[in-house]
Amino acid sequence: MKKVILKRFLNAIPLLFIISIIAFLLIKLAPGDPIQSFVTPDMNPDDVERMRKSLGLDQPIYMQYILWLQNILTGNFGYSIITKRPVLDMIIERIPATLGLMGASLLLSLIIAIPLGMITAVKKNTIFDRIANFFAYIGISIPGFWFGLMLIYVFSLQLGLLPSMGMRTVGTDSIWDVMKHGILPATVLAFQNISVYMRYIRSSTIRQLDEDYVQIQYAYGASKRHVLFNHVLRNVLLPVITIIGLSIPNLVGGAFITETVFSWPGLGLLGVTSIFSFDYPVIMAITLFSSVMLILGNLIADILYSVVDPRIRLRG
Amino acid sequence: MTKDFLSDRLFSCENSGLGDFSALLGGNCKKMKKKLTGFTMLLLTLFLVLAACSNDKDTTDEGKNESAGQEKDGGTLTVAVSDNPQVMNPLYANDRITLTVQQALYAPLYFMEEGGEKNFILAESFEPSEDQKTWTLKLKENLKWHDGEPITADDLVYTFESILDENQNSSIRGSLIFNGEPLKVEKVDDLTVDLILPQVSAAFEGVLVDFFPIPKHVFENETDLMQSELNQNPIGSGPFKFKEYKSDEYIVLERFDEYFAGKPKLDQIVYRIVKDPNTANISLQNGEVNMRLVEPQDAQKLEGTGKLNLHTFPEGRLFYLAFNLESKAVQNKELRQAVAHAIDKEEMIQAAFVSDEFADPAASIFTPDTMYHTEDITTYNYNQDTAKKLLEEGGIEEGHTLKVIYANNNKIMESLALYTQQKLQEIGLKVDLTPMDPSAYGQKTLDMAATDYDISYGGYIMGSEPDVYKTLFQSDAAYNYGRYKNAEFDQLWEDAAVEVDKDAREALYKDIQETVAEDVPYLPLAYPQAILAVDKRFGGIDEAKPIPVTMVEDLSKIYEVE
Repeated sequence: MKKVILKRFLNAIPLLFIISIIAFLLIKLAPGDPIQSFVTPDMNPDDVERMRKSLGLDQPIYMQYILWLQNILTGNFGYSIITKRPVLDMIIERIPATLGLMGASLLLSLIIAIPLGMITAVKKNTIFDRIANFFAYIGISIPGFWFGLMLIYVFSLQLGLLPSMGMRTVGTDSIWDVMKHGILPATVLAFQNISVYMRYIRSSTIRQLDEDYVQIQYAYGASKRHVLFNHVLRNVLLPVITIIGLSIPNLVGGAFITETVFSWPGLGLLGVTSIFSFDYPVIMAITLFSSVMLILGNLIADILYSVVDPRIRLRG
Repeated sequence: MTKDFLSDRLFSCENSGLGDFSALLGGNCKKMKKKLTGFTMLLLTLFLVLAACSNDKDTTDEGKNESAGQEKDGGTLTVAVSDNPQVMNPLYANDRITLTVQQALYAPLYFMEEGGEKNFILAESFEPSEDQKTWTLKLKENLKWHDGEPITADDLVYTFESILDENQNSSIRGSLIFNGEPLKVEKVDDLTVDLILPQVSAAFEGVLVDFFPIPKHVFENETDLMQSELNQNPIGSGPFKFKEYKSDEYIVLERFDEYFAGKPKLDQIVYRIVKDPNTANISLQNGEVNMRLVEPQDAQKLEGTGKLNLHTFPEGRLFYLAFNLESKAVQNKELRQAVAHAIDKEEMIQAAFVSDEFADPAASIFTPDTMYHTEDITTYNYNQDTAKKLLEEGGIEEGHTLKVIYANNNKIMESLALYTQQKLQEIGLKVDLTPMDPSAYGQKTLDMAATDYDISYGGYIMGSEPDVYKTLFQSDAAYNYGRYKNAEFDQLWEDAAVEVDKDAREALYKDIQETVAEDVPYLPLAYPQAILAVDKRFGGIDEAKPIPVTMVEDLSKIYEVE
């Protein structure tokens, strides 16, 4: 197993390399230039050129990439072009906000989706199943920003129960305050996930219910509840591991749109801000970070899989 | 004074949302209906009913609650801004958000009032010598930085020298260079400096409006002022001092008790960074935010809540239509004049700005707050017959095609473009509309060799000093959106910059405005109003004086009502 993990890590290196080249090229090909944030019309062209030089923007694209790569390899993520702060600091300070929000929404969606998925499988094709499925479709089709605004409109403005934006009230520093701010964005994110997860668990449960071991249990006179919770559940949870594994990059990468609507100061919002200002050291760092997490998430899912289900072997 | 010149960038922050919330419920739903099922519509109706019910209650409760209470000592004002500040150092501040925060954090030497009168803040006096080349700047006594150190002539000298230092890349360096020669600074005594100009400059007083001294004792040992970590914790001279900044969350400023012009009334100013304009409007209604610049489309609805006072004031911006004179299709002057006659500016304002309350028709390229702005120039009344006759005189054939481009994230530009299209078609021209990605649009309009479009739109805020405008109009200027090349016209700008006689200068700037009006490389469209929505629980806004870009001039005057 150690060998397999090592091999996976080695495979990841060229992959990350390719991702970084593509991301860098895409940023550079997009129309726009970070210098736009600094130039005012009364600056003379010499001053603009000097500023461009001091930011390294006068170099050809491949040289800019090589310089960036050199820095990354020595662990230096550079400085933000816009705020002039170290990129690593900017990312690290965002992680708790994103992790908290995404963790809460994942937890919320699993708590609802697992029982709901299993019940709809058992009650396949009944009214209950249809209604649940109907909601699942709504959940998938409703645009997140719209649903978010709706929730803000109802819960913040009309009912005045919850804050409409941000992560904390200025001057307070309590967990409860942060949670209060997190309820709406977490709900929006969970609502979309629930639909997907529920459908996933439903079909997995249906497949399990047809298996021989379930039929045999019934033949021995086991109760439906006993079969479902003591035997089927364990097998159904296998795909859930994949879900969690694949959610890891989301967990740390944040949600671009939802974080923007709620002004939640996570990595998603940082991503949006830096893309609009062409702050490429920050964009590159976020891209790289998400890619590493995606690869790591996949690996962890595979490892857990083989731990939970010995029939599955990790093969490099 | 070229603060938020890149108007597309500004607009991209504020207009990129979904637009009006009610439009979302009403208008845009139609599009969505096809996608959504009946049940969602039911859900929607539920939301709507809920909304309608409680809305009624709100307006009747709050309607009586006019702001007529007693002035209170203390309190917190929360202002919504759309983005993070960039580098919190006056040497580098040039975006709207940083300038807004800076307005509370730093005090300028003086404000320039309408009519060119100086309202001295840090400065005690500012007088030129006989030959107009040496200006003596004297500070008031007993001024203090936020850390208690005195503000002296050393700080002034240090600030001027830092701006002029090429290695510091200050964004205002260009304004202290005159014909390639830098300004010289000499300390006279602890409170006085002499500023020596290499040549006479009529614009100099206007340039220093944007000058905010920085503390020498803080920055002395820093090699790179732009990259300096000290900018994370700025020490200023204004009515409020820095307390805390959390990126993408908020900036907290605290009252500076020793502010020389009197203790500010509020305890705290909080700038909350709210990215989504719809969310920001809701926060304004439920009191999480107390002050924000709003769009014309939202103004009426916000006023209807009864919780907010709207202050409208000239934004100091001009919306214009620019002809690309590199393109053959618009090189004919009669054609450009015909376009001017074909557009009914009053009607256009209704279309783009909701009501004539929120914009005035424009004739001059100078905004009304700019010195020497005049109305006494060639204007083009709305007349389709005159327009058609001009087209005939110019030899323009029926169906002559004009390519119009605009930024697709800017609602106002879009309305202007659609309106122009309709009106030009009515006089027999053909119009191709191309919405573009905002960055691509920005690049295209600044690409001086581009010939593949004829008309673009924009809006600039240039401030009170007319000399600054030349970066938009001289033949080889980087921002010559019209690609207007006219040697005589270039010379007028140069002459006006060094003319110290007020009447002669006025005449030169009148010539300049008339040249553009007559030759129409640009067609000025409208001077929009800025709309500042303020919670009724706060007063003193008029004393604080609403101004373009930074919302208000002097935050120390705002107070909370008991």
